[in-house]
Amino acid sequence: MSSEKRAELFSGYQGEEGDLIPILQRVQEKQGYISEEAVRRISRFLKISENQIYGVASFYSQFRFTEPGRNSIKVCLGTACHVRGGQILIDAVERELDISPGETTACGRFDLQRVACLGCCALAPVVQINDDIYSRMTVIRLKEILQNYE
Amino acid sequence: MGKTSKTVQINMDNQRLEVHRGLTILQAAESNGIYIPTLCAHQDLSPFGGCRMCIVEVEGMRGFPTACTTPVEEGMVIRTKTSQVQAERKEILQLILSEHTSSCLVCDEKVECKEFMGTIRKAGVTTGCRYCPNDDQCELQDVVDYLELDEIGYPVYYRGLRVEKEDPFYDRDYNLCILCGRCIRVCQEVRAANTLAFKQRGRFTVIGPAFDRTHMEAGCEFCGACVSVCPTGALSEKARKWEGKPDREQITTCALCGVGCQMRLLIKGEKIIGSLPAQDPVVNSGQLCVKGRFCVTELVNHHRRLRKPQRHQNGTEVELSWNEAIEAAAAELSVCAPKQFGMLISPNCSNEDLYIAQKFARVAMGSPNIDSSTRTFYGHGFSAYLDLFRQSAPLADLEKSSDILCVGLDARFGRSVVGVALRKAMKRGARIVTINPRPHNLALMADIWLKPILGAEAGLLRSLVKMTERKNSTSRTRAKGQGRGLTQDLLTVAEMLKNAHSPAILVGSEFLQHDKSWQIFELVGRLAQNVGARILPLPAQNNLLGSILMGTYPEILPGGFSSADEKKARQFKKSWSVNLAQFSTGWNASALSTGPRLKVLYLIGENLPGFDQLADFTIYQNIYSPDSPTVDALVLPSAAFTEADGTFINGEGRIQRVRKAVNPPGDALPDWEILCRIARKMGKKGFDFSSAGQIHREISRSVMNLGRFHRPKRKPVPLTWQGRVNVSRPKPSGKVKDGKQIPFLLHASSAEHVYRGFLLTAFVEGARQIFPQDMVDINPKDAQKKGISQGDAVVVSCERFQETWTANIVDEQPPRTLHVTLHQSASLGANPHRVKVKKKDV
Repeated sequence: MSSEKRAELFSGYQGEEGDLIPILQRVQEKQGYISEEAVRRISRFLKISENQIYGVASFYSQFRFTEPGRNSIKVCLGTACHVRGGQILIDAVERELDISPGETTACGRFDLQRVACLGCCALAPVVQINDDIYSRMTVIRLKEILQNYE
Repeated sequence: MGKTSKTVQINMDNQRLEVHRGLTILQAAESNGIYIPTLCAHQDLSPFGGCRMCIVEVEGMRGFPTACTTPVEEGMVIRTKTSQVQAERKEILQLILSEHTSSCLVCDEKVECKEFMGTIRKAGVTTGCRYCPNDDQCELQDVVDYLELDEIGYPVYYRGLRVEKEDPFYDRDYNLCILCGRCIRVCQEVRAANTLAFKQRGRFTVIGPAFDRTHMEAGCEFCGACVSVCPTGALSEKARKWEGKPDREQITTCALCGVGCQMRLLIKGEKIIGSLPAQDPVVNSGQLCVKGRFCVTELVNHHRRLRKPQRHQNGTEVELSWNEAIEAAAAELSVCAPKQFGMLISPNCSNEDLYIAQKFARVAMGSPNIDSSTRTFYGHGFSAYLDLFRQSAPLADLEKSSDILCVGLDARFGRSVVGVALRKAMKRGARIVTINPRPHNLALMADIWLKPILGAEAGLLRSLVKMTERKNSTSRTRAKGQGRGLTQDLLTVAEMLKNAHSPAILVGSEFLQHDKSWQIFELVGRLAQNVGARILPLPAQNNLLGSILMGTYPEILPGGFSSADEKKARQFKKSWSVNLAQFSTGWNASALSTGPRLKVLYLIGENLPGFDQLADFTIYQNIYSPDSPTVDALVLPSAAFTEADGTFINGEGRIQRVRKAVNPPGDALPDWEILCRIARKMGKKGFDFSSAGQIHREISRSVMNLGRFHRPKRKPVPLTWQGRVNVSRPKPSGKVKDGKQIPFLLHASSAEHVYRGFLLTAFVEGARQIFPQDMVDINPKDAQKKGISQGDAVVVSCERFQETWTANIVDEQPPRTLHVTLHQSASLGANPHRVKVKKKDV
């Protein structure tokens, strides 16, 4: 990481313990995920061990540790979607793309996330791919739709 | 009973109690003998309130507060075992157990199984279920018994996690984990190592280092503190896994480095099954390093321990009785002229052994030829290094230090107890500076890492000494041969040390085998004088100071006096009736292979390669059998430090008691006893000792006051010695040509995981993982240029040697430098070496 990049991540912070979460948020915003390299840098800057940083970051679902794919699949497992078979959709994506929630395909085309509610429960089960919302999803339709994203 | 502000009156289970203000309810209960079940609370750790076992009823408080987190207040009325509290606890315990393998806790056959070890199989096997190595030592079992829980009403959810076995020394089965967080708290609060953290959350919570790293990768020091506090069998020691409960314990001093930690040996029958730190406030305050915590058991129980005296002759080994062995030794020694005799004794031996050994050489043999392998270990800087002990300070002084300079110190595996003290000092605001050309574990936490160019360490220290010499002269001094950034750092450090109200200098072993080690240690001494710093040298050998003060060197008499001191020589002439003044054969350990051939060589706890070729006859006295079959030697079995009484003097100058915990294996005897028996057989006077305590009394009477044997003086004494160890400076390594390129600089360290001349890696399985053998560290860019990848065989050569080692690519190894740790690096000469590197042709 170059010194400009470091300045970009840490400018405005004093290196106090309480800066950890805002810095993690900035790293995620700039780089899309929390890399091992970023954790090492933060550890040196804040003098908190990498293990503690990872412990804090992995507690919050807002942080991810794998590089996001080009397309991001979010499958809703809120109450309504769960009842109407959201888990079956997740299983289908897992089988189709060979990734678990939180992971990215080896080719970098898709990543998969499980979300709690997308706010349109009447349309359950719901899947969001990038900014597109797909309602009343079925396994067969989902497989077809995936073809549209490269 | 007056109501003072320091205490409060409470009522607990209908007892009126007066307890200290500020205690928690749990502490108040424990100090008054009231049992409250708990799983996550621990006396050394901050309250956590995680397991909810310690809930109690407090009048006027809503719900059930946890006793471990609620402080006592004036007039509190507490009930710890009402039926409702017990019912709640049972419910919570069931929830905990719904994720825990519970066959040993709530089995229908539990009672019968304990007695008959029967199983619920059809065939009549009598094994009993053993899912967990912690059976009978488990706090979960205690709480289940206390609450009389006999079934779990919740559906069982086993997590099915993989048992983690890849790291050395302990296994981790997180299926048995109850997430009490003790391991995390001990790692963070007590050790300040921060290797462990809770990861994820909710039912996915696991414990471990960042990402999916192993403990090894995450920088774990393998101190075992987490294993000690684990209330279940989730963390278990590999070497002691199915040993069960110890019968008894013995407190003693660790013999694996000069810190001198107090440890508790766990004993079952006649076997040492474990070692734990002792609560000793002055040296290690309840901490141990990986060597003391995990290596002792395997070291003393190894199958290569010698059990009977043996005669090795032309490849045959004949077992002897002690009488035969003593007779054989006495016969050889009686006809040996003083000049033709030589003895080497390891500084791992106790003061009593060392004293008797030198007395044996000087009185029984009439020879000054006694020495130790430390001479070659420390090389020509030996005297300068020993001089540092004159200004030495106790380790506890680190607590008071405001600014700490670490010279060539790494505290990850060895000396990690000192690392803990440093991290605690840093937490309370002390500034830490480290001088080391190579990556080391202090680099990350230090405020400033002064990184000299390999080989230019003396120059850096000289600049620092100059900068601290006179007032206001700092800004004008330039650090010669160092980069500009480093000069700035040096100025900062010089200012810092000059203005420090209580500076301290810790001296590690990075520069011991250095070409300029003499200057480096002299400069450290001068720097300390300039800034008024305490010096804390941390020797690798547990009884280095003992070997000086007992006089096991040709130049040094007991008491640390020079053998040229005529007054002292006269004194010894009177008490021993030997004329020491006529002694000076000029012999020492470095003359072994080059000097005139000896008739008899006596090795005590020393293991030299090819030792049986160095003299006509060799007496080899040690705890392990020799590495290679010997041609002609008398092999005598001696006792390890866990099997004999005695005293050590640690690096602080503190006299410490070593206690016999078990009997030596087979016929082995303490070193002093073997020596005394031989001397008596030879008809010599002054060797009629029947215990180490008697020898101790003679030392105290005639040499120096060591205090009482059973309760030695606890105050450390700085070394007062008038001797000088004469070691000639080794030749610098020759020039090499590697095309037009500048040669690589090789730094070879001597291994410090040594006990009685043997590497711990030979006997302790886990040690092989943490102390790499014959691995040469190389920078990734250099490796790429030379086409070397991790694990390749690499040939490192110069005019004087050619060695093949395994490549280990280390990111922070400075470019065009190499580093290797060898058993005896002195065999290569002094550091740094100019060498060529290439991948070995297959």
